[in-house]
Amino acid sequence: MSKLSLQNAILTYEQLETTPSKIDEIPEDLEDNLRKLGCDLIQSAGILLRLPQVAMATAQVLFQRFFYVASLRKFSIRDIGMGSLFLASKVQESPCKIRDLINVYHYLIQRYRNLPVEPLEYFGSEVYEMKEALTVAEMQILKKLGFNVHVQLPYGLMVNYLKVLELTEHETIPQKAWGYLNDALRTNVYVCYQPPTIACAVIWLAARVAQVKLPTSPAWWELFESELEDIL
Amino acid sequence: MDIDIVEIVATPEVQTVVTPEVQFAVTPEVHSVASVATPEVQSTDTPPSVKIKTKKSKWDSESENEESESERKINKKKRNAKKALKATVDSEVDELGSQHESATEGVKRLKVSNDAVESPSIKSASPAAESVNEIIEVPSPQENTVSTPQSVVEQIIKPVSSKPPMLTGCRSVDNYEKLNRIEEGAYGVVFRARDKATGEIVALKKLKLDKEKNGFPITSLREVHTLLLAKHPNIVNVREIVVGDALKQIFIVMDFIEHDLKSLMEDMQSPFLQSEVKTIMLQLLSAVAMLHDNWIIHRDLKTSNLLLNNRGQIKVADFGLARKYGSPLGPMTELVVTLWYRAPELLLGAKKYSTAVDMWSVGCILGELVNKEPLLPGRTEIDQLDKIFKLLGMPNEKIWPGFSKLPHAKNIPYLKQSHNSIRSRFPYLTENGIDLIARLLTYDPAKRITAEEALKHPYFTESPLPKDPEMFPTWPSKGGGERRKSFVSPSAPNVAHGMGELDEEDQAFLGSIFENQGGNDYGFRLKV
Repeated sequence: MSKLSLQNAILTYEQLETTPSKIDEIPEDLEDNLRKLGCDLIQSAGILLRLPQVAMATAQVLFQRFFYVASLRKFSIRDIGMGSLFLASKVQESPCKIRDLINVYHYLIQRYRNLPVEPLEYFGSEVYEMKEALTVAEMQILKKLGFNVHVQLPYGLMVNYLKVLELTEHETIPQKAWGYLNDALRTNVYVCYQPPTIACAVIWLAARVAQVKLPTSPAWWELFESELEDIL
Repeated sequence: MDIDIVEIVATPEVQTVVTPEVQFAVTPEVHSVASVATPEVQSTDTPPSVKIKTKKSKWDSESENEESESERKINKKKRNAKKALKATVDSEVDELGSQHESATEGVKRLKVSNDAVESPSIKSASPAAESVNEIIEVPSPQENTVSTPQSVVEQIIKPVSSKPPMLTGCRSVDNYEKLNRIEEGAYGVVFRARDKATGEIVALKKLKLDKEKNGFPITSLREVHTLLLAKHPNIVNVREIVVGDALKQIFIVMDFIEHDLKSLMEDMQSPFLQSEVKTIMLQLLSAVAMLHDNWIIHRDLKTSNLLLNNRGQIKVADFGLARKYGSPLGPMTELVVTLWYRAPELLLGAKKYSTAVDMWSVGCILGELVNKEPLLPGRTEIDQLDKIFKLLGMPNEKIWPGFSKLPHAKNIPYLKQSHNSIRSRFPYLTENGIDLIARLLTYDPAKRITAEEALKHPYFTESPLPKDPEMFPTWPSKGGGERRKSFVSPSAPNVAHGMGELDEEDQAFLGSIFENQGGNDYGFRLKV
């Protein structure tokens, strides 16, 4: 029975290993690449639409989640990308217009294919097709994810943790840690671990790169409800 | 806990990373972190620094073990997930040693932070906090784990991290058997249904999506989210969301509650007793207090959205207009709350409003419960304002600072009445009752009583005391298709009263199997 929850869904090992796309005989590296491209499009579109980063982050998590319950053969990354960004913008209380979103996606895809970028015709059939595809994709995301579309993000936690560790004034750590969080959106980290763990992991990594020592006795990560095993 | 949801404005250096404006609300994680903090604080009476010294030897060895174990873990390929992050980690394995030795320094660092937090103001744990708009109450380090033994940490963490949900799709609506229609409104239709597996009776709210131009309505997303966030005995419980065959059929499954206060009051002979009013109000206020505590404004409190079950429990329903708000307040639409329950600042076009709008509605509900009729049944916005002014007198800049600056303040008819007439509207209410209504219906939203304060109002502690919910009377449920049982007492022959055949026909059905069959006849009601 599907359960509504505010907590982030965590996938089982089997779900991670055998994705629907794999069952549909899509090679693993192709799937990885498609996931990355889809997230990349979402991030770029979000920047062009001036959406807050939390909206893009939510959208990418939704995107990743979606393709663990549906196959890449059945749904295109363009439609699901648009759908998840549109949905995420609503979830994060900064809704964008469908038309803007379609225009931005059209531009990005034309550019990706190295085609000359021509604006869409205002009443062109392509617009209506994309619009239809977008709304269908949105409903599909909602349905397939069982309406668990409220994503807990680690950004706020990470900032809080840095504060407690008194690292907010450090030159590179906050910037780096924030960047790692964004990079992690391209991977499936967000469907494997809860936000506190992810936040601790990026702080760990950032501190390591910056060669800053963190308190180990008692271990600082325990402060934030994380297990060392998960962080690494 | 005071702050459950904290709005954070990221510090400048963080902001520059991706987008110029990064603003977000941290939802329950903060809550959970914070809630972990309390029990431990209670358990540790001794100053933290002392404990660190006593712990040190044991902890050092433990953490060393963990670290060496962790080195092994790095080399071990665990999951694909880590590839990206791990690539970098691997290159830094060498540095682990240096960190290893930093244990003692780490203790020093924590001591420093402990000292800082010892001071009475826990609010700003670091200087950076001052630059943040909204002060964040960071769970201070010594409160959490620094000074407490591991066993305590484990004890507390385990219940908090309950099992995360599985990623599964929606169930089909076929799992439920439709019984009858309860009501229909602008948002959709509510059906009564039975869970085929368990036999439980539930309410199915079908969302109207056919006319949506902008995909799935944001209001429904908010409704689902706020209902999940707001788990409270006096707020209706959402079970799940199911889908129909077509893509646009979405149903929210909720517990079925027998009555709503509005139609119940329509059928009642006499108004609620004072003791019953108090019980209802206390439950309503505790639900509202919890919502406001969680940064949620309901924005559509009214008697038809208050459900009452047969055990005297009130459940707040219909979160279709509810939304989260932050501090500082952002602009929100002023077109909220059903007219009769709409606060004056909304009627006058204020774009920034807060929880006080809910409290105004609560005041209108209290008045309605006491008198069994709507307190301010305005026909239009202007008429509504006029009714408010007639009840409470004309507001002015003195009792409501900022009143004249509201967008529509210039366009309203002036009423030459400075006194309020609450007393004459409630002839049988005690002084404390009048005082509570007056405080709920205060013009200035800043001075209006909050839900928290209202719960402590003397009205609820004076005689008659609130009635135990278990002692509430019960009524036949309209939504459940029940009807008041009419006892047939022998009466004079119908002909003598000059009545027609119709009556006879009705009489014939009484006591037969057809008596309660009319469930569908009156299930169709329009919401006001």
